[in-house]
Amino acid sequence: MDELEFLKKDWKAREVSFPKLSYNEIYKMIHKKSSSIVKWIFIICIAEFLFWGLINLFIPESTFAIYEKFNLNTFLFIAQGLHYMVVFFFIYLFYKNYKTISVVDNTGLLMKNILKTRKTVNYYVYYNIILYVLISIILNIVMFSHPDILIEIMIPKNAVLDSDKFLGIMIVVQIIVLLAMCAIIWAYYRIIYGILLKRLNRNFKELESLEV
Amino acid sequence: MDKEIEHKFIVEFEQNQNIIHKVCRIYTSNQDAHNDLFQEIAIQLWKAYPKFRGESKLSTWMYRIGLNTAITLYRKSKRSIVTQDFETVLYRIEATSYDDTEEEQLKLMYAAIHQLTDIDKALIFLYLEDVNYREIAETMGISEVNARVRMNRIKTRLKTILNP
Repeated sequence: MDELEFLKKDWKAREVSFPKLSYNEIYKMIHKKSSSIVKWIFIICIAEFLFWGLINLFIPESTFAIYEKFNLNTFLFIAQGLHYMVVFFFIYLFYKNYKTISVVDNTGLLMKNILKTRKTVNYYVYYNIILYVLISIILNIVMFSHPDILIEIMIPKNAVLDSDKFLGIMIVVQIIVLLAMCAIIWAYYRIIYGILLKRLNRNFKELESLEV
Repeated sequence: MDKEIEHKFIVEFEQNQNIIHKVCRIYTSNQDAHNDLFQEIAIQLWKAYPKFRGESKLSTWMYRIGLNTAITLYRKSKRSIVTQDFETVLYRIEATSYDDTEEEQLKLMYAAIHQLTDIDKALIFLYLEDVNYREIAETMGISEVNARVRMNRIKTRLKTILNP
């Protein structure tokens, strides 16, 4: 007999040995909480939307007082308005993609939709990082082009400090903070992708490669 | 009404639960993982059940959700890979010291199946379940020709393991 036919026969014969769940056991089981990847992605994505949405609230009021001296408040107000429009667009896209995920679709389509949903949120995070860097650069250019005002605000009166040295330190600190933020975000995404999506990505690529 | 659907689902599930056990058997290598996957598939089936209109056979619908859940569920893959490697090594050692009995052949084939990728596992599962190529292709979202080509490759691979 062909080896595979032999395997098939054994495969069917072993069915008898499976444990049988009772009606009540099944009832209990289907009311337990799912731990599907789609659910985790949904939770993580919502957390990310909240994180980037709420991060603005943690900027101390005094910062805005400084920006006012540079006449930057109107610019920031408009930037924020545009920003919220973009955020709502992202949330809409995310929701739309999330809704298309269905476990009844074929395997290829299902994986494609899961990865697409996740990608929407990635773009959202990239957008936030780029915005953060861009705004930092603009604010710094404006502030450093008026060093007199900057020194007036930042150095308390009567303090003896070399103003060139002070500006130098300011720039270095800003760059370090910026790099540290990017490093944290990068590490976070390595973890999310490494742990949660590596297998899914690999399976999707494998299935895709069959079609080439 | 909800209770009625629920009752109908549980009765049908009770009669067809072997399908889910078989999916778990292909995708997991220990009892805990088997039970976890079984539960997740049960939950996914129940979630999808109210939309099941009976256009396809119940078994077809269960294959699809079962395999999709197994392929997309997050599992701690590292540990299970280690155990699988270990098992395979063990089987190989045994195989060299024993005759090529049928029992040994089966052990080897099951070990080899455990080493396949998630996608290939789905294909061999559907093959073992006597599902035709058109349905396999539809379930996986690939063309029928590619499903055949891939399946032949898996079959050859399994055969070479037995007749090196």
